[in-house]
Amino acid sequence: MTAAAEPEPQPRELHPTNGIDETVHQRHRLGILTITAEAQRADFGYLREALGLTPGNLSRHLTVLEDAGMVQVEKGYEGRRPRTWVRITGEGRAALAAELRALTELVRRHGTPVHGS
Amino acid sequence: MPGDVTAGAEAPRDPAASAAEPAGLLSEMRLLRRRTRADRHAYWFPLVLFGVLICASAPLYLQRPIPAHAGFGQVITAAGPSAPLLSDFNGLLLNSYLPYYWLTALVVGLLLTLLWYRRHARQVGLATPARGYLITGAVVTLLAILVPPLSNVPALHWLHVLWPGDLFIRGTFPFLIIGAALCVLAWAERSVGLAATAVIYTGAALLASLYDIENVLFRLGWSPNADGGRLAGLPGVLLPALILLAAGVGAFAVQRPRQRPRQHRAAA
Repeated sequence: MTAAAEPEPQPRELHPTNGIDETVHQRHRLGILTITAEAQRADFGYLREALGLTPGNLSRHLTVLEDAGMVQVEKGYEGRRPRTWVRITGEGRAALAAELRALTELVRRHGTPVHGS
Repeated sequence: MPGDVTAGAEAPRDPAASAAEPAGLLSEMRLLRRRTRADRHAYWFPLVLFGVLICASAPLYLQRPIPAHAGFGQVITAAGPSAPLLSDFNGLLLNSYLPYYWLTALVVGLLLTLLWYRRHARQVGLATPARGYLITGAVVTLLAILVPPLSNVPALHWLHVLWPGDLFIRGTFPFLIIGAALCVLAWAERSVGLAATAVIYTGAALLASLYDIENVLFRLGWSPNADGGRLAGLPGVLLPALILLAAGVGAFAVQRPRQRPRQHRAAA
């Protein structure tokens, strides 16, 4: 009697949450990446106002993103006034795109409509 | 918790929550992206600027009276600088200052636009990558100046392939340089409105370059020959200019009130 060949186990499709990066998934950090992806660079004050954050909180989020290589922070002066500009990197753009893909896939799987689209 | 740096990405276990949170985040990010884009848009200025510059060039498009003895196909030569792509090929214009005007106007227009975007970035806090616009405009202008004399050099005769066919015979090739720069700016601005304006304007500039628009007005009852034909070239100049001015004023009405409150807050 010959043993029937066992079918090869099919690799299961990865759940979309596997595409979620903890650094990016946080709401405000996702907001920082979304804003900076829309401009060549964004001012610290603009980010603070648009996201409703305190300067300290925004600084901490920026440090997390900068350490992950997703944004570059440029400090300088305009006249006597200090000015901080934030620029998204290629890595940041890729992470943002992956996060938005994962979120879209999650919404598609669970069938919840996205408002404001 | 708003602003919590440590708030992470724990996958929600509740199925309803697992869909609601991504949906909410996506909606929020779309809204943020739209708002940022709207805050960044500042293209009313280059539209109005180049509309005004084209209008200001209108006196240079006045044509010399057609001599009674001029035969069909006769070319009247005009003395002037050797920059035929910034001038008119037919030599019908009253004076020969057109290349000087357009060289100055294009350089000034491109530089003022770049300065405008820098100022806007300082005021609003968002910078638009306008360098591509400047480079495109500068490179095409430089080619328009250099290609005609260089293509006369025997070793560089192949440069004739860069001559833009019939597009320069009416002296409106600079309009197309502006159109190319505006198309690149529309891409940098990520603006459908500016892209539509650039396409419509470029279409009008192509029409003005390839067709005598006064023929249309002639059919509507206007006689370009009433003043010895001097005004015949003006419809082809004013049509593209009016498109830019109308779009620029419309964009100003939308963009200015939106950005003013933010500028006041930044100043405070």
